[in-house]
Amino acid sequence: MRKVAIIGVGITPFKARYLNKTYFELAYDATKLALEDCQADITHHDLESTVYGIYNELFERQFMPDIFINSYLGMNNKPGTRIATGGATGGYTVRMAYAEIASGLSDLCLCIGVEKCNDCYDEQTGTTTPEVLNAIAYSADMTYEYPMGMMAASSYVSMVNAHFEEFGNPTEEQMALVSVKNHGNAINNPKAQSPMKITVEDVLNSRIICYPFKMLDCCLYSEASAALVLASEEKVKELKVDNPIWMTGVGAANTDCFIGNREDMGRLYSNIYAAREAYKMAGLDYSKIKTQIDLAELHDAFSGQEVISYEELGFVPFGEGGKWIESGGPMMDGELPCCPSGGLIGCGHAVGATGIMSTGEAALQLRGDAGKHQLKSIENGRAISHSIGGPGAAYAAVIVMTNEEGLKIP
Amino acid sequence: MNEEYPAHQIRDIIKINYKYTMGGQSKFFLEVMNNKKLLGTKCTKCGKTWMPPRVNCSDCYAPANWIELKQTGTIQVSTIVWYTTSAFIKAIPYGIGFIKLDGAETSLLQGIFSENLVPSKIKKGQRVRAVFSKEREGKMTDFFFVPEDEYEIWINKSEYEGGD
Repeated sequence: MRKVAIIGVGITPFKARYLNKTYFELAYDATKLALEDCQADITHHDLESTVYGIYNELFERQFMPDIFINSYLGMNNKPGTRIATGGATGGYTVRMAYAEIASGLSDLCLCIGVEKCNDCYDEQTGTTTPEVLNAIAYSADMTYEYPMGMMAASSYVSMVNAHFEEFGNPTEEQMALVSVKNHGNAINNPKAQSPMKITVEDVLNSRIICYPFKMLDCCLYSEASAALVLASEEKVKELKVDNPIWMTGVGAANTDCFIGNREDMGRLYSNIYAAREAYKMAGLDYSKIKTQIDLAELHDAFSGQEVISYEELGFVPFGEGGKWIESGGPMMDGELPCCPSGGLIGCGHAVGATGIMSTGEAALQLRGDAGKHQLKSIENGRAISHSIGGPGAAYAAVIVMTNEEGLKIP
Repeated sequence: MNEEYPAHQIRDIIKINYKYTMGGQSKFFLEVMNNKKLLGTKCTKCGKTWMPPRVNCSDCYAPANWIELKQTGTIQVSTIVWYTTSAFIKAIPYGIGFIKLDGAETSLLQGIFSENLVPSKIKKGQRVRAVFSKEREGKMTDFFFVPEDEYEIWINKSEYEGGD
């Protein structure tokens, strides 16, 4: 396989609602930002293919929304493929765009995700969220699970509760620490939707959503777009790009979408398999990964799952994720900063865009271009991004990237 | 763009009607509707019991036969939902959980009803029993589970009845 680099990152602000833009107009904004970010003289005419990450047709009020974006981006008469894997759409889209370049099919590929959920509107409550949640709930099994009132939070909470039963971890206080961290990290990210300085008590006292998740344990649904320009090594040389971030590992796995079919309900084996595959491809070691990377942008749709992901992605042994956050491990100045951008809890969750934003954020950190939330120390020159989602969070994708030399901090 | 206009929003709805076939799973729903029975399937090769039922075993690609399961089981994990989708918001708070029926190897997501809906009443290990609606349509909403010690209370309500 050929080497693949991220040479451009474009992320729109994550907002509750863009009243003045449609989904394809948002996609246009992110594409333009990504092209402008490339240290190369290229336009959209130079992009040879596109991989689209768009989760939910019901949000967009349009089936096959990718072809309408394809038109709006001026990408006619080139290949374009859409990926839809729930909350993991972004990570999976990055993986498929990687394959587009690694395979030799393209030398320059646009990887773009977009989602615009808050056009959904619930007439009963006069608010958007219950209808957004309903549009998502149609991703649950329609025969056995949707009719029971299954939805995103109750799906994640089942895994978190089962994990707690097995390991006594994460506690409500440990989950709250994730919320405090990620809302806090978002304060330095001008593109984040939910920057907040809050305390553990604020989280514990916020309204109950789905026992034991409280409001501040949950991410907010956002509208946003994020784009990456990916290039082959040949193209990086030809364009004289001097800040490429190389993608060295892409791992993905789907566990059983029926939580009731899983032998261990408190574990996402998809996370474990995706991480192991990505690390192995990058020449890294699952048992030492915490010391081999500088940061991780995790999929913290719900605070409790971030704690479990510390364990599933190999940062700490099973059962020790809660203790690790209590000791400050994933904080900005900790052993391995997790979600310096603010993650989903801090930035918001624009589903198809989220994993591409996370990957782009990690790439910017490795370039030293993350702005106010730039990490002070990048010693290994490596980062990971992580996406999960779908019914029972069955889909997972992990991306490893590197600047190949550690970072000379600006 | 030369001039600023306010955003124009329209009301719209996407609605599709179905006459959806349950295919190979039909027997499960017909037995719930007609006979208040809970049927799983058992693989003819590896012997795994599937619930929800599958007429083909996903583990070994052999056919699976129908078997009747007990209507009692144990909660594996559960939650109480306090904020939810537009389709269920009128039902809050409601309990749901994964229940392993006695004799099954996998767990079924179902509603857990209780006279006292608190986390401790529907936690892991709680024994539950199926209660059926008197008016059934061959859907998952035809039945639910209650803590075993509340079974008599629930089957004596006018709209519900016991199984076998």
